[in-house]
Amino acid sequence: MSDEAREAVGDYRFGFHDPENATIRFDKGLSEQVVRDISALKDEPEWMTELRVKAYHHFIEREMPDWGNCGQLNDIDFDNVTYFLRSSDATERDWDDVPEDIKNTFDRLGIPEAEQKWLGGVTAQYESEAVYHSIREDLEAQGVLFLDMDSGLKQHPDIVKQYFGSVVPHTDNKFAALNTAVWSGGSFIYVPKGVHVEMPVQAYFRINAKNMGQFERTLIIADEGSIIHYVEGCTAPTYSTDSLHSAVVELIAMKGAKIRYSTIQNWSANVYNLVTKRGLAHENATVEWVDGNIGSKLTMKYPAVLLKGEGAHAEIISVAYAGQGQHQDAGAKVHHLAPNTTSNILSKSISKNGGRSSYRGMLQVTPKAHGCRSKIVCDALMLDSDSRSDTYPTMEVGNSTADLEHEASVSKVSGDQLFYLMSRGFTEEEAMGLIVNGFFEPFTRELPMEYAVELNKLLELEMEGSIG
Amino acid sequence: MKYADMAVPSRALHLWRYTPWARIHPASVADVPEASSIRFNVLDGGGHLVDGAPRILDGNDIARVFLSELGTGASTLVTDGNSSVVHLQAVASSHVAVGHLHLALTNDVSVVLHLSGEADWTGLHITGEVSPNVRAGFGMINELSANGKLLHCEDWIVGRDAALELAELSIGGFRCKSDVRTRFIASGSRLTQAISVHGNNQRHVDHHIEIHHDVPHTDSSLHVHAACDDQSHSITTGLLTIAEEANHCDAGQVFKNLLLSEKARAEAIPELEVLADEVAAAHGAASAPVDRDQLHYLMSRGLDDEEAVALLIEGFMQDGFSTLEHQVLVDEMRTRLTVHLECELKR
Repeated sequence: MSDEAREAVGDYRFGFHDPENATIRFDKGLSEQVVRDISALKDEPEWMTELRVKAYHHFIEREMPDWGNCGQLNDIDFDNVTYFLRSSDATERDWDDVPEDIKNTFDRLGIPEAEQKWLGGVTAQYESEAVYHSIREDLEAQGVLFLDMDSGLKQHPDIVKQYFGSVVPHTDNKFAALNTAVWSGGSFIYVPKGVHVEMPVQAYFRINAKNMGQFERTLIIADEGSIIHYVEGCTAPTYSTDSLHSAVVELIAMKGAKIRYSTIQNWSANVYNLVTKRGLAHENATVEWVDGNIGSKLTMKYPAVLLKGEGAHAEIISVAYAGQGQHQDAGAKVHHLAPNTTSNILSKSISKNGGRSSYRGMLQVTPKAHGCRSKIVCDALMLDSDSRSDTYPTMEVGNSTADLEHEASVSKVSGDQLFYLMSRGFTEEEAMGLIVNGFFEPFTRELPMEYAVELNKLLELEMEGSIG
Repeated sequence: MKYADMAVPSRALHLWRYTPWARIHPASVADVPEASSIRFNVLDGGGHLVDGAPRILDGNDIARVFLSELGTGASTLVTDGNSSVVHLQAVASSHVAVGHLHLALTNDVSVVLHLSGEADWTGLHITGEVSPNVRAGFGMINELSANGKLLHCEDWIVGRDAALELAELSIGGFRCKSDVRTRFIASGSRLTQAISVHGNNQRHVDHHIEIHHDVPHTDSSLHVHAACDDQSHSITTGLLTIAEEANHCDAGQVFKNLLLSEKARAEAIPELEVLADEVAAAHGAASAPVDRDQLHYLMSRGLDDEEAVALLIEGFMQDGFSTLEHQVLVDEMRTRLTVHLECELKR
């Protein structure tokens, strides 16, 4: 890593990168031809090519958002991004067949080890496409489809055509349009009626090349009465120039189904992370987002749930850690579209070393949604005077029977708590680390144990040197 | 900057999201129509009005620039220091009426402004300065005619160790847009602000409240209570900023909405921007229908359904003023509210 890069990103544990061995690499920049070439390369059906082209034109015409961190958004140089890079000729099902250099990367991140221990299936995406994919045989026998998105489109075009873009249309926002135009990779999951996938399935996203854009597209459909837990992790090497991650995730929970989508985003501090995540919950269905934002330069991500069916429930738990040079603009959106729907949002953020964390939320109750209940809690912790914390919650209530609560607070670490712990023999740094871990505890307890341990370690690393 | 050179503000800004500039402008947005002056009178108490007012103007805000170009007349209230209460009247008549009132509060005083009139469109800009060590209160009762539009801006500057209490009872006008901004310029100062809104028929009431803690050791508290009936729509957006050097501030905002009919709507956006770490900052918002337990309790004491609901609305709206210490403001607001609710709820 160059000194310049090290200075830019600090002590980032996953900042290594392997030599780039691309089998196909597009030139930088975006045009209709690039979009058509990506589609042709993947041998996609015509409807998908046309959708990509339509989305490309929408992306070009659509203005950059005039809210959020406009300064940084306008710094993105879309002409300096590589929109497609293939590192492996095939998606392997056997870990031994994955190209050596890519395998090394994931070995260092512990992917095969985790898979052996507790995963129901795993997809590892390297640059634009999945390089390794597996699913447990018993799940396959139950009819669970877990594929990378490109394979999903090839093998199940009817399902993909029915649901692709149904929750996040390409006209939703500028970055959803960009993703629809150049998407590659991501996961496609279909869980048949009544099937409970007890082990979580996982996807791991890694950007390795410089100025790379990763635009994965994930579509999860849980049929009636089914249950699935999906976990994703993200890392990238540290370069002195910026990379772009602009994903779209669509979740569809049919009647009585439950989808939990957990993310720990630990991109290096030169990655723009501009993601659209939205779930659709039908009658008595549950959609849960468990969202951890530790890395990236600028994150703008607001996991959303459309509560479309009566009795549907949304649960969003998010944490954000904003260190030096970082802006975590995260939040949650819940739209109560049907009667007796409920939601619960918990957001926790920490700002340190001049970092900025923002909670931006939307809670909407439409006139037909009788008897809705919702609770939002936002807590922010400031660890020094250089940092900043903002909350921008919005509550739109169109039904008189709705019962909604929102509360937010911003504070620093309590001197009393620090004193108490230090009087028990902890150093100030250890005490601060314990308090931070405790602050995030409502989030970590919702994660699978291995992830919770990993998150605690990450936070400890981030907290190193935070005192004095 | 001149109004003609200003762009129509984007609806991406919360300030203009629910009541776009075009909806509150008296004509089409390119026009600056002819306007007559609002008549200000001192009803009683120790003070008198003089012509002219100093400009405290945010040159980037389209509403303030528009109001300043629309009206040339301005009045300043000068208190005589002998009386602790001043009652003011502002009457808006004619098609478009505009006025600028400045309050130089140099002694402990409570000022109550009754805004009334039949104007189709009323533009009111109030500016105020609270001198150091002064405990001042200002309350406004908006009782404009039921079909008038109101654009109302307030700008306050609070001096060292001063305490300002702001109260507003919003019961008049068909479409109202209020933008109230307070800035602390020296430490030790405090703001307590309370607003109660009654939404009935198709009333649309939009409040934007900004409180800027630019200096340390300043406290603020904001309570907004909106009871929305019929097809009314209440919007409250708040912006609370604490600057980097403004440590030891204590700031809180609470927005409560009581929804009384199926078609009533309420939006609450209490924003917080905190750049200092040695502070206590919090906000909360809640929307709910009438509490069935409370209703049951009152009905079990012999009240019928309508009386019980009316009592709960009154209690909810009066509670908005419970944080105020200026008893004159509290009494004025509560008395006028009671009369208003008796007229409205008996219809």
